[in-house]
Amino acid sequence: MFKTTLAGLAAHKLRLLLTALAITLGVGFISGTFVLTDAMRSGVDKTFATSAGKVDVAVLPKRDGGEIPASMLARVKDVSGVTAAEGLVKGDAALIGRDGKAVGDMPTVGMSVPAGRLLRYELDGGRAPKGPSETVLDTHLAKREKFKVGDAVTVLDHKNGPHRFTVVGLVDMGMDRDASMQGAVGFDAATAATMTGVRTFTEIDVLGGGRDAVQKAVGPDHDALTGKGLAQRLSKANGADTAIIQTGLLLFGLVAMLVSALVIYNTFAILIAQRTREMALLRCVGATRRQVFGGVLVEAVVVGLVGSLLGLVAGLGLGAGALGVIGSFDTGLKLGGPGLTGRTVLVALLVGVLVTVASALLPARAATRVAPIAALRADLEPGSGRFRLGWVRTILTALFCLGGLGLAGLGGFGSDKGESPMYMVAVGGMLFFVGVVAAMPALVRPLGRLVGAVPARTGGVPARLAVENAQRSPRRTATTTIALTIGIGLMSLFSVVAASGTATANAQLDEHFPVDFQIESQFGGGKPADDATHRVPAGLVANLRALPQLGQVTESREAGRPKKGGRDTTVQTVTASSFGSLIKVTADAGTVSAPEPGTLIVDRETARSKGYKVGQTVQVRGDRGSAPIRVAGIFRGDVPLHGVLVNEADFQRVSAVRDAAVVWAKVKPGVQVDDARRAVDDAARAYPTIRVGSMAELRDQFTKAVNVLLMVFGGLLGLAIVIALFGIANTLSLSVVERTRESALLRALGLTRRQLRRMLSVEALVMSVIGALTGVFLGVGFGWAATSAMSESAVFSVPYAQIIGFVVLAGVAGVLAAVMPARRAAKASVVESLSAG
Amino acid sequence: MTSTFTNPPATHGRAAEPSAVVAAEVSKVYGSGDAAVHALRGVSVGFARGAFTAIMGPSGSGKSTLMHCLAGLDTVSGGRVTLGDAELTAMNDKQLTLLRRDRIGFIFQAFNLLPTLTAEQNILLPLELAGRKLDRAWFDQVIDVVGLRERLGHRPNELSGGQQQRVACARALVARPEVIFADEPTGNLDSRSGAEVLGFLRASVREMGQTIVMVTHDPVAASYADRVVFLRDGQIVTELFQPTPDTVLDRLKSLGA
Repeated sequence: MFKTTLAGLAAHKLRLLLTALAITLGVGFISGTFVLTDAMRSGVDKTFATSAGKVDVAVLPKRDGGEIPASMLARVKDVSGVTAAEGLVKGDAALIGRDGKAVGDMPTVGMSVPAGRLLRYELDGGRAPKGPSETVLDTHLAKREKFKVGDAVTVLDHKNGPHRFTVVGLVDMGMDRDASMQGAVGFDAATAATMTGVRTFTEIDVLGGGRDAVQKAVGPDHDALTGKGLAQRLSKANGADTAIIQTGLLLFGLVAMLVSALVIYNTFAILIAQRTREMALLRCVGATRRQVFGGVLVEAVVVGLVGSLLGLVAGLGLGAGALGVIGSFDTGLKLGGPGLTGRTVLVALLVGVLVTVASALLPARAATRVAPIAALRADLEPGSGRFRLGWVRTILTALFCLGGLGLAGLGGFGSDKGESPMYMVAVGGMLFFVGVVAAMPALVRPLGRLVGAVPARTGGVPARLAVENAQRSPRRTATTTIALTIGIGLMSLFSVVAASGTATANAQLDEHFPVDFQIESQFGGGKPADDATHRVPAGLVANLRALPQLGQVTESREAGRPKKGGRDTTVQTVTASSFGSLIKVTADAGTVSAPEPGTLIVDRETARSKGYKVGQTVQVRGDRGSAPIRVAGIFRGDVPLHGVLVNEADFQRVSAVRDAAVVWAKVKPGVQVDDARRAVDDAARAYPTIRVGSMAELRDQFTKAVNVLLMVFGGLLGLAIVIALFGIANTLSLSVVERTRESALLRALGLTRRQLRRMLSVEALVMSVIGALTGVFLGVGFGWAATSAMSESAVFSVPYAQIIGFVVLAGVAGVLAAVMPARRAAKASVVESLSAG
Repeated sequence: MTSTFTNPPATHGRAAEPSAVVAAEVSKVYGSGDAAVHALRGVSVGFARGAFTAIMGPSGSGKSTLMHCLAGLDTVSGGRVTLGDAELTAMNDKQLTLLRRDRIGFIFQAFNLLPTLTAEQNILLPLELAGRKLDRAWFDQVIDVVGLRERLGHRPNELSGGQQQRVACARALVARPEVIFADEPTGNLDSRSGAEVLGFLRASVREMGQTIVMVTHDPVAASYADRVVFLRDGQIVTELFQPTPDTVLDRLKSLGA
C-alpha cells in the first residue's frame, strides 16, 4: 500500500508541488520570522558579549530600574584586587538641535561615559569626554542632527539651564535601550552627575577583584555579576523585546497557516473525489479501509514534508531579505547573519506536516467510504449537486451565528465600553465566522447568483456557463472562497477600525476641542512627569495670553501625587472662561460647567473607580495638601481632560504647581493661522524644551501613523491572501481536469479558445468576489461593533474606496489565478479530450 | 415515435447531387519514424448533400479519425477537406472553431450535454454561441418531433440515456447546419431508444434535406443510411447503397472484420 501511494505521488509530481505550495508559503513565513528574530537576537547578543566582556565585575541593583547609592562606589573600590571602578550615571540631558529646539519628543539621555578600559561602548570616532566642557554624542543621534566631532553643542541640565560643550567623540550607545530610543549624550562621571542631577548609579563597572569579594562588599540588595553574567542579563532584557516582534509576526503566520489548511483540505477533498475509481479499484483488489485511509495520510505526510522543506528554504530567503531591508535603513540595530537553528527546522517541519495531515484527515475518511463497486460505475461528477444543510449542521450553524451576533452585539452596543466589550466583539466575531464557514456551502448559490448577475448578463455564453460552473460544487467553492474571506475580512476589519478611529479623533477635536495650537513641554524621560522642567512655564503662558494674534488661551495645570506603580488621581484646573467655548464637556450626571470654588467635576472612569457620586464631598489631595470639595457633576470621557477638575482657587490650596501642563490656544478671528503660528513660535523661542503643535499637524501625524500601521498589517495579511489565491488556482486546475470532456464538447460546438479561457477567468472572478464580499461583510460588520465597543463617542466610518479596492483587487487577483489553468484547458486537443475518460 | 417533419425547409428537394463535404487524398499520421501510425492513407470520398451516409469499419480502421478530420476537429497530415466553398485544411484553430459553430452539427456517443444546463439551454447552446436568432417555429417543430416538450426544463442527470441523445439530436437539428456528424450516436442506447434516434436522423434527411455523416459499427444503425462507406486500415475499400442490416453484415464479413 505504501509503495502504491509513493508510486502515485511520483506519477503526479506537479499535483504534489501545487498542493505543497500552500504549505510552503505558510511555513516560509513562520520560519522566516524565526530566521529574522534569531538574527536580530544573535546580533545584539554578540554586541552585549563584547561590551560586557570588557568588565571583570558589574554591580547592578537587584530590581530592574533600581538605583545604587553613590556611597557604594567607595566600598567597591576598597575591595582588594580592584584596580578601577566607575559608577554609571543616567538621567535626562536635553540636547539642543540646530533649530534651537530640544531634540525629539523626549529629552535625550545624559550618561556617564568612562574613559580607558572601562569604556563599554564602541567608539566611532574621537575620544572619550573628560572635564566639564567635553561631550560625546551617540553616533546615530549625531548623524540625524548633523553634528560631528569638533562641533559646539548646547545641552540643558536638569533645571533647563543651558551649557555649552565641545563634541570630542562619537560613541555607539545603541545597545542601551533608552539611548537607542531617545538618543544620548555622554559626559565624564562628574559632569554627568551635575547635568542630570542624578546622584545615584545604575551600574558600577569594576576591573580586577573577584565577583564573590565584590558581592560581599555590596551586600544582598545588589547583584555582583561577572562579565558573562552581565551579558546574559542584558541579553535577557533584549530578548523580551525581540519576543514581542516574534509573537506579533507569528500571529500573522498562524492566519497564513489557517488559510493553508483550508486550501490543503480542499485540494485533498477534490483529489479524492476525482480518484474515486482508483480508490474503488484498490478496494476491489483487496485493500482494506484502513489501508486506503493510511494511503491518503502517507500522501499528506509526503506533501507536508516537501512543502515544509521548500518552506524552510523560502523562509531562509525571506528572513535574509528582511534583514537586508532592515540593514539598509540606518536603524543602528545590530543584526546577525541569517541561519537555520534546530528549533526553526523542527517547528517548521512539525507545523507544516501536522497542518497538512490534519487537513487531510476528513478527506481520508471520505476515501474509506468509497465502495469497491464504484470502480465499475459510470463516472458521476464529484462534489456536484445541490447542497442542503442537514438539520444538525443547520442547528450548529444557527447556534454559532446567533451566539456570535449576540456576543458581538452585547459587546458593541451594550452600555459598557472599553477593553472587555472589545474582547466580546472579537470572540463573537470568531464564533460568527465559524457559523459562516458551516453555512457557506448553502450560501454559494445565492451569492453566486448575486455576484454573477452582471457577468452573466453582459459576458455572453461563456460568462453564463462560468457563473453556473462556480456554483456547481457548492462545498468546493465554499472552501475555496472562505480561504480568501479570512484575509479580506481581517483587512476590512482593520481598515474600518482605523478609519473609525481617525474619524472619532477628528470628531472629538472638532466638537469638544476646537483649538488651533497645543503648546507642551517635552515629555518627561526617566523622571516623574510632574517634574518642574516638563511644564510650560507660567511666564510663557502670560506671554501667550498677551499675544494679539491669539483669541482664547487656555491652560491646564495638573498636580498628582507620585505613587508606586503610577500616579494617583490627577487634580486638574482649567482656565474657567474656556468652558463651553474651547472645551465642551457632556454631562453624565449633575452639572458640568466650570467648577465654582468648593466644587469639582470628574470624568466618568475616575468617578466609577473612586466611587464618587454627585453631591458627595470628597477629600482632594494635591502635592501641597488636601481640601474637602463637593462633587458637582460627572462628565463623559470625550475630551482630553481626566481626573478631578477643580476651581483655580481650590487648586492653589492643594498644590504648589503654577506652571501649565499644557496650553491650548485659538487664533483670533481675522488673523491668518500662519501669522499666529509665527507669533507663538517667537514667544516660545526662549524655551527650547517647549513644543508647539497645530491641530492640523496632530491630525496629519495621527492619520499617517494609522496608515503606516494599516500598511504593515496589509503587507502581513497579503500572504494569507496570496495563499488563498493559490487555492483558487488549485481548485480551478483540478476542475479543469475534471471537465476535460465538457470543455472538449464546448470546443467542438464552437467555443473558441479565447472564450474557453474567458469562461475560466469569469469563474475565478465569481469565486474570488464571493469570498471577498463575504470578508468585507464580516469585516465591516464586526468593525462596526468593535468601533462602537471602543468608546461611546466613537464615530463609525467606512473607508469605501479602500473596501471597494479590496474587492476589485481580489477579483483581479482571482482572474490572474485563473491564467495558468485556463491556458492548460485551452491547449488541450479537442479530439483527445473527447475520447478521454 | 412516428411524428415526422412537415413543412420541409427550402433546402429540401434539391438533388442529392453536389457533395457537401469532400475529402481528397486525406492522410493522417500519428507519431513519427518507426513509431508512426498511419490512421488514414489517402482517403478520397465525397458526402452528398441531403443524404445520410454511414462510415463503417472494424476497430482501428480509421473511421473516427476520418470523421474528426472531416469535421475540423483534427488536422490532417496530407490532402484536403472542403465543406462547401470552405477548405478546412487551410484554416487555423479559430477559423475552424467558428466554422464548426456556424456550419456543423455534432452528435457524440456519450457526454453530449453540459451537466449545468437544462435540456432547452443545451439545445440552444450552438445558436447562442454564434449569437444567432432563434427561429421559434422551427424550434417548436424539432422539439415536438423528438418529443422533448415535457423535458425542456430538466438537467441531463434527470434524463434517461435515450432522452439525452434526443436532446443532442435536437441541438444538432435546431441550428440547421450544412452537415451533422454523428459518432456512434446509438452506441450507448438500448435498441428501442436507438431506433428512435436513428428514425429522427433519417426523417430529418428525407423531409428536410439535412446532410448527415454517421460513424457506426452497428449494421442495424448503418441500414438507416442511404449509403455506407467501408474503411479498413485507413483506406476506403468499398461502399454500399440502400443498405439493409443483412447486406451490411455480409459486406463486413467479406472485409474480415
